Amino acid sequence: MSSLGKYLWTALVLAVLTHFAVLLAFPNFVMNTAMARVSGGHFNVWRQGARVTEASRAIVRPSPDLAYSTCVYDLSGGPIQVHVAPWRAYWSLSLYQDNSDNFFVIDDREAHDGADVIIIKQGMAAPDHATAQIVESPTTRGIALVRRLAPTLEDYTGAAQAGRADVCAATARSAH
Amino acid sequence: MLLRRILAWIATVGIGIGLGLISLWAVLAFGGANLSDHYGAWSLNRAAGSQAAGPYTRAIIARTGLLALSAQEAIYFNLDRDENGRPLDEGCIYEVSGQPLEARWWSLTLYADDNYLARNSDHAYSVDASRLGPGAWRARISAVQGDAPFWISSRAAGRNFSLTLRVYNPLDDFQPSEAVLPSLHTVSCGGGQS
Repeated sequence: MSSLGKYLWTALVLAVLTHFAVLLAFPNFVMNTAMARVSGGHFNVWRQGARVTEASRAIVRPSPDLAYSTCVYDLSGGPIQVHVAPWRAYWSLSLYQDNSDNFFVIDDREAHDGADVIIIKQGMAAPDHATAQIVESPTTRGIALVRRLAPTLEDYTGAAQAGRADVCAATARSAH
Repeated sequence: MLLRRILAWIATVGIGIGLGLISLWAVLAFGGANLSDHYGAWSLNRAAGSQAAGPYTRAIIARTGLLALSAQEAIYFNLDRDENGRPLDEGCIYEVSGQPLEARWWSLTLYADDNYLARNSDHAYSVDASRLGPGAWRARISAVQGDAPFWISSRAAGRNFSLTLRVYNPLDDFQPSEAVLPSLHTVSCGGGQS
């Protein structure tokens, strides 16, 4: 192989490797950035988002008609208990693994009186005597997100009030 | 001689990594259309948020629609061109109209080119089913409201803004098509008639 050919092939191989390595790592990078932004360094606790306006810059394309609550969960210390209080209009609880995939969602059609879920790491044993729905997270960290339909300021205020009854906590701690 | 070879290898590595990054950026920036279904000017990527999403879809969604719900719960349509294929522009006045969609709730929201709400203080970011009510509806997209009862402000949205149509809990009867989805019409641009 000529010197020029050697350089060209090396550049081509590096280009392909870089392309796919960054492609695969990019969603995790974006999710890790999002988790750092919305958690403020606090895991396993709900954070009620302010009403969405032009100043909302933590996550792309937020809906101004929804009230959001986020809990960045970390299962390294064990399962997490999640409770979502009901709301008078549409609401849902959705779970995202650390590559941004939405692996679970439940809404008010299925859980009219609120949702109770225990998140465990995939492959781990569920807690004994658990009465809540068990959901296996493919990754140790991820985001739990509650959406409550709230197109007006009055709706948002009510949704934020309802969100105060939400729980996101380690199962051992929440038992006390 | 040795120095030349070292410089040549450094350049080779730089060019290789650069080509890999540029090609990926091009795919993420411009390749979304090839991964989407199209209904007139609206595009839809059914794999958004799904665990079945391929790596390119996942990366595009991470950039432009992070934390999207999977299609079982909500469907997201995007529109970034007018009826003549031109990018949407703050300098134009548009009219968007349609019928109620077969879903529990839906909304239409304007986003600037940076994928966030336009930096204006008009608090007219969207219209939604709860405000528009039953029956046919019509809304204006423009920098000032004028006499429009339903208005989405494009002030400070610049050029290349886009609209996202969220359809939550679509009913079994919901079959997206150009006829079912809202239609956009350019009223005027830069003060003249379109």
